[in-house]
Amino acid sequence: MATSVKRSNAANAVSTVSADELAGRTPPQTLDGALAGKFTGALVSSNSGSPGGGMSVKLRGITSINGNSQPLYIIDGVYIDNSSTSGAGLNAVSAAAGGGNASSQDNATNRIADINPEDIESISILKGASASAIYGSRSRGAAGVIIITTKRGKQGKTVVNFSQSNGWNEAINLQGQRNWTAALAESAFGEGAEFSAAEAAGKLFDYEKVLFGEKGFISNTNISMSGGNEKTTFFAGFTRNQEDGIVKRTGYDKSSIRLNLDHKFTDNIKLSLTTNYINSSADRGFFNNDNSGTTLGVALATGVRPWDDLFPDANGNYPDAPHGASNPLQTRDLMTNNERTVRFITGGTLNINLLRTDNQSLKFVARAGVDHYTFTAKVIFPKELQFMRPDQGGVNGLSAVTTTTNTNSNYSAFLVHNYTTNNDVSFTTQAGVTNEQFSRNIVSVIASDLIASETNVDQAANIKASQTRLEQEDFGFFVQEELNFQDKLIATIGVRGDKSTNNGDINELFYYPKGSLAVNLSNFAFWGSSDAVNRFKVRGAYGEAGTFAAFGSLFTIFGSTLNDNNVGIIVPIIRGNPNISPERQKEFEIGFDAGFLNDRISIEFTYYKKKVEDLLLEATIEPSTGFAREWVNAGELENRGFEIGVNIKAFESEDFSWNSNISWWTNTSEMTRLDVPTFNLGGFGNSLGQFQIEEGKSVTQIVGTTGPDTPVSVLGDAEPDFQMSFVNDLSYKDFTLSFLWHWKKGGDNINLTKLLSDFGGTSADFDDFDFDPNINNGTFRINNGLFAGNARPFVEDASYLRLREIGLFYTIPTETLNNWFDGTVSNVKLGFSGHNLINIFDYNSYDPEVSNFGGNGLSTGVEVTPFPSSKRYMFQLSVQF
Amino acid sequence: MKITIKFKIIILTISFLAFTSCTLDGGESLNGASTSSISDDLSKGELPQAISGILSDMRFRLNTQVDVQSILGREYYYFTSSDPRFEGDVVTGNMDNQTFYTTQAWGSRYSAVKEINLALEGLTNTTSDFSAQEIAATRGVLNTLKAHQLLMVSNNQYTNGMRIDVSDPDNLGPFVSYDEALTAIASLLSEAATDLASANSLDLPTIFPLSSGYDDLRKIDPVTGEPLPITSADFLEFNKALTARVEAYRGNYSAVLAALGGSFMDMVGNLNKGVYHTFSLTGADLANPLFIALNQEANVRVAHSSFLIDAESGDLRTNKVVLRDTPREASGLVGTHDVWIYQSLVDNVPIIRNEELILLFAEANMVTNPTDAVNALNVIRNAAGLPDYAGALTPSALEDEMLKQRRYSLFGESHRWVDMRRFGRLSELPNDRPGDMVPSTIPIPFDENQ
Repeated sequence: MATSVKRSNAANAVSTVSADELAGRTPPQTLDGALAGKFTGALVSSNSGSPGGGMSVKLRGITSINGNSQPLYIIDGVYIDNSSTSGAGLNAVSAAAGGGNASSQDNATNRIADINPEDIESISILKGASASAIYGSRSRGAAGVIIITTKRGKQGKTVVNFSQSNGWNEAINLQGQRNWTAALAESAFGEGAEFSAAEAAGKLFDYEKVLFGEKGFISNTNISMSGGNEKTTFFAGFTRNQEDGIVKRTGYDKSSIRLNLDHKFTDNIKLSLTTNYINSSADRGFFNNDNSGTTLGVALATGVRPWDDLFPDANGNYPDAPHGASNPLQTRDLMTNNERTVRFITGGTLNINLLRTDNQSLKFVARAGVDHYTFTAKVIFPKELQFMRPDQGGVNGLSAVTTTTNTNSNYSAFLVHNYTTNNDVSFTTQAGVTNEQFSRNIVSVIASDLIASETNVDQAANIKASQTRLEQEDFGFFVQEELNFQDKLIATIGVRGDKSTNNGDINELFYYPKGSLAVNLSNFAFWGSSDAVNRFKVRGAYGEAGTFAAFGSLFTIFGSTLNDNNVGIIVPIIRGNPNISPERQKEFEIGFDAGFLNDRISIEFTYYKKKVEDLLLEATIEPSTGFAREWVNAGELENRGFEIGVNIKAFESEDFSWNSNISWWTNTSEMTRLDVPTFNLGGFGNSLGQFQIEEGKSVTQIVGTTGPDTPVSVLGDAEPDFQMSFVNDLSYKDFTLSFLWHWKKGGDNINLTKLLSDFGGTSADFDDFDFDPNINNGTFRINNGLFAGNARPFVEDASYLRLREIGLFYTIPTETLNNWFDGTVSNVKLGFSGHNLINIFDYNSYDPEVSNFGGNGLSTGVEVTPFPSSKRYMFQLSVQF
Repeated sequence: MKITIKFKIIILTISFLAFTSCTLDGGESLNGASTSSISDDLSKGELPQAISGILSDMRFRLNTQVDVQSILGREYYYFTSSDPRFEGDVVTGNMDNQTFYTTQAWGSRYSAVKEINLALEGLTNTTSDFSAQEIAATRGVLNTLKAHQLLMVSNNQYTNGMRIDVSDPDNLGPFVSYDEALTAIASLLSEAATDLASANSLDLPTIFPLSSGYDDLRKIDPVTGEPLPITSADFLEFNKALTARVEAYRGNYSAVLAALGGSFMDMVGNLNKGVYHTFSLTGADLANPLFIALNQEANVRVAHSSFLIDAESGDLRTNKVVLRDTPREASGLVGTHDVWIYQSLVDNVPIIRNEELILLFAEANMVTNPTDAVNALNVIRNAAGLPDYAGALTPSALEDEMLKQRRYSLFGESHRWVDMRRFGRLSELPNDRPGDMVPSTIPIPFDENQ
């Protein structure tokens, strides 16, 4: 934590992403979105195309079933919160999860999206316990750690960078319509006459295009300054991202200001400070599952026909949807689902060299960091909406505010001792303590029956408040010894101890050991100086890490309810477990790094096996107990996989260079032990497909029935067969071309969007014959699928091949610049770039990257009428002064 | 080098703090009262909250329970654009043991049972100064409600069986047969009746409030004409009404008549007199989940076509359905009439009403005392605007008539399917599409591991 090992000596396959790789090709929408395809071992997937993000990042397979499976992000030593909170009120209207509370189906954003990619200098990804053990438990060391270093100032001339990029986004794969004719309208709905009338009036509409066919304008502005003298250096950056979504009244607007300062008190005492202020606002629309026919997606799929006229009159009055609970144009134009974040992240590191002699040094490092944000989700459904009107059974307007105040703080202190012998053997000893504190308070108020067009939650007849708090504190210490024998043998051994207020015994320490060895064979004398194989290292690492139980899992607590004005207490869905303990990951990895032809070709190969024991499971319990689930430590899973990276410097000359990176990776998981009965999660029952946790089977298997009275069988698996990425950087004179292809082969989704539009009679492929030569798709999915208890049609291959990023840039030659600007401008670059410009998939919907249930855990890849994904076209200009 | 000295002090301070602050405290639940706070020692202040919680939870997923039973009884269809399984699985009878229509009603009823068990345990362990009467009255109320919740489960599960003893989550009692379940429910009611009787007409509001859904049980002060507070004796009349229903299900008609005698049955009274679930839009209260405005498209409850076809002309009870502007079709099923039993989000939903008690009286008498049976049926018929019964007095003719009156009087109140099953007539229920079928039971949820 306080030392770094140079890459050539590392015993782990640590992936890195540079500033150029992250944001240099094309400006990304969010930080996590910019990681997809850029390193091995990860499955990065977006939950929808909604502006503002919402992503899932899984490193080396699924590492926890009900615990956190998302990696920990650490930025300049500050532990960053990455939780997803959705606005209360959405579910009160959509009824997706019943009960009116916020649910995981509300298409929430996750908070790492706040971080500005333009500020980042480099990212290191520790994919499992063998590398991240030292980061301890809560750390979700188990799910991996993503270490982010932001840009810092350099001593010397003050440099100012300005860049502006503008462009647009548009839907990547609209589904289209049935080939409507009067005859088809008549046979499908008995509305041939309505069709003909609308046709004659020129009022046949493709409502999918009306809703999702916008081109959203994008503008990114970035200004940064850096410089300093020998004592003090600084980096200051300002970024403003604005973008409109492909649905009207959706969009994302983020401003981020960063100031990083480094000050040397003396040669031996250095202080580094980072501060980052972020203000963002996302208008997310209203999508995903519902049980009320009110989300834009469900309304479009189930209740809108091309001859329906849904447009407002001159006074802005919208007609009721003739076949649905809501008019999606009215919902789009009148409802609000806004998420606003105000965030402040600050941290400091103090480095003091206590001792420095020829052969030894002692350094003290102290760190502190705070990540504080206030997140306000505002949901407004005005009373004019069709489904809000009392004559339609509505509640006469609904307004909800959810305010989340979250503060994470972390403190640590280390001592690092280094001793080098005369024959170049060095020993690095470090010891340290860490303390992390987490505090969250979520207050939400849902108000209905609103006064006039007021939206404050007190301007209402009915008000429902709820509050959820979290207070957690973790403490840990670690010691580690590293031995480096002439850069030939590098061995590390260490142990970490952790405790947390989330455990059954809050002061019980859990210990996690680690050890690793790297052997640089090519540094030994016997290797000689071969050009053919100029570099060869074998490496192996073992480490353990824990994941603490979720806050509150120790307790079985009553919920509150109201009955005829009397407050009441009701048993919770989840039974707590006072004896819950952390789950423990044990990861072993082995591999080699080799360079050929003087590193013209280099290869990295890694095999890993990670086992998670004492799995924290929210296992189902017999519902006759009065509970639905209970927390238990009851099982074991294993992930195994390969990661291969090849770099080829194909061509390198003064005018032309070509550098290629090919990566290939795969992961296989298995529930090696399950101490509770097989159980299901994530999905909508066996007749539509769901995930099933079962001993001896893949953790991510998708099961379902295949007909009346058939047993449950395996229908698919969310885990891809493999992923591959192909990155090429070409430059010719002053032009550079860079592109990233990303291929995900295999991995299944549960796709229910088409089924819903089948019921609405509007699926684009309704009249095709893909399942059966005699039964059209729409009828098949309904009669031979759902009604026959056959989930097979809904489990679909979610493979894709996509041109994730492409950038073509021209740098104006320095001489020309000097002629034009007389030396005030040192660099001007302009070009074109794009994101997801080419997408090849068979998947029968907008995008195989989708998740109705958000980013955490197993349930990604279930699709119910999402916000469609988009591609981005950008034009850029950057100037350095 | 002064600055170095300062920093050394800082280091020492940080190190000292780091190593001394390593004892954690905290680890509290923060977000609610522990369930053991009730079961370990139920206090006088907690009892009203426990009772209100139970009354509240008895309403959870009531719609799923009523909708499924009404579809199975071919009373109405429920079409919802976002979940087609109400027009699929439930109508075809091909019901999955992990899907909400199977699991929700089961889970919700047992949650209420859990709350009752926690309160009963707390009542045993209480250190508060409850009087013996107060304890008996509370126990009587709790066990009556528990019997009702278990009866709701047994109605769904029928011969698949169910658990009765569920007080220890780590050691659940066995699955018992339908007959054993009804026997257990009947004896729970009788235990409760003994407790309620021994409480000596205690004013229940002195220990806990019941909802206004129980107001019909209150007696009127003969002097002031105002309703008196509800007493344990009033509640006993509800207990006896439930007992009558359970005994009818068991075929013990003499026991039905005995129970009806102690119930709130009133041959000349309001047929809607009864005990109800209440709903409101206030705060964390629930809205009536069975209300849907007329002429909706996305979500509708539409009467089965046979409801109007089979009705005698002039039957006022046909006003429980209303002609739609346009028919609603779903996967080959068509509804022309909206169900219109509940007309707002705050309408009460009956638990048991006088109309059912009179019909139970008719049923219990139809073999042994046909005249009394016909008199009772005529009360129902006349109230519905129909003339006196003019058919035969044979048991089978009276059975037909009684079932028909139950069908119209208790439309959409979760009776038809159970009634037709009791009399072995499920095969008479209509199936509108080739693959449709009426099952006699709902599967045991998968998670019961049976």
